[in-house]
Amino acid sequence: MVRAVHYLNQFFAGLGGEEAASTPPTRIEGAVGPGRGLAAALEGVEIVATVACGDDFFAEHEEEALAEILQLVEAEGPELIVAGPAFGSGRYGYACARVVASAGVPGLAAMHEENPGRGAAGAALVVPTGSSVAGMRDALPRMARLASALAAGRELGSPDEDGYLPRGFRRNHLAERTGAERAIELLLAKLAGTTRTEVDAGFDRVEPPAPVTLAAATLALVTEAGCVPQGNPDRLPSIRAAGWLRYELGGETSLATGRYESVHGGFDVTLGNEDPNRLVPLDTVRELEGEGRVGRLHEAFYTTTGNGTPVAASTRFGQEIAEDLRARGVEAVLLSGT
Amino acid sequence: MFVTSLPTIATMIGANRIVRGPAITHPFGLSPEERRRIVERALAMLESDVEPNTVWELEEVSR
Repeated sequence: MVRAVHYLNQFFAGLGGEEAASTPPTRIEGAVGPGRGLAAALEGVEIVATVACGDDFFAEHEEEALAEILQLVEAEGPELIVAGPAFGSGRYGYACARVVASAGVPGLAAMHEENPGRGAAGAALVVPTGSSVAGMRDALPRMARLASALAAGRELGSPDEDGYLPRGFRRNHLAERTGAERAIELLLAKLAGTTRTEVDAGFDRVEPPAPVTLAAATLALVTEAGCVPQGNPDRLPSIRAAGWLRYELGGETSLATGRYESVHGGFDVTLGNEDPNRLVPLDTVRELEGEGRVGRLHEAFYTTTGNGTPVAASTRFGQEIAEDLRARGVEAVLLSGT
Repeated sequence: MFVTSLPTIATMIGANRIVRGPAITHPFGLSPEERRRIVERALAMLESDVEPNTVWELEEVSR
């Protein structure tokens, strides 16, 4: 039998609700609460003790709480740690993730995939659950299956096969068939409407904003084409930009050749530098503004280099630019991508 | 809204209003006339209700 410790919050450990949320870390013999259901489904694993901590205590005294919890865990000499399920609870999910990530033995935490605590799990396994306690019945067998596999020392399959959330690892393995055969198989599956991926794209999905009436709106020009004033005074990088820039347009009616240039290192900028309006159409939009088609063109344009930029950095640029535009009353954006 | 010659990538990253521009090196075309058509198409899209990840094509744009 592999010795396991189960981590729970005060509520699931039966110590009380919110009024007991300040309970410091405490040890309980054997399995309690959801741990009982879990224990019944485990194979080759025994829950020797439960360690519980109040949600508020953990949140307010994080390092102290974590140290005490780890001490209690370690005293049991476990080979495995299991935490939760925390469902959609942020405080609890975060505590579960930190405990499992810090315990120094294999383990897993269970929570909803959008639980904000998920990010703290690091390389530890996270089993997805429903967002509320209604998902308990589904969660326990899945936690038990993965915990039993860890206890048996079995090499895990893909997140899909073994029921955990992708951790962003890519593992090499020797396939039985050639790349050509597998490519055709994937293509056929795609044509049949079945696609799958082992790499989570991780991009935000937002609803399309409502249409605007441009004759009464302020429109801004934004680009990732690396357009800057000639000579690149602020040294926008040609690859892996660390930020974005905002340039006042004054009364300019065109991004004039020789006054602006592109420093983007990811495409041939010859045609763009011949006429930078091909990348950021200031001349056309000024015309349309004069005709009343566009209410007002925003007084500055925003630029960065979209070349080898990590998703996290690009996401931040987008959020920062959008925030700036919003604060300045801009209602519509014409974004150009190269 | 997003003017790009790579609407597949724009769709993948979650852009909702996309107009396909003629080329990577000149998403707003080469001539002022072509640019005007592309910008007008883009403005029309900003004024339209769209489903998520909608891509509008241009007509008669030289590549």
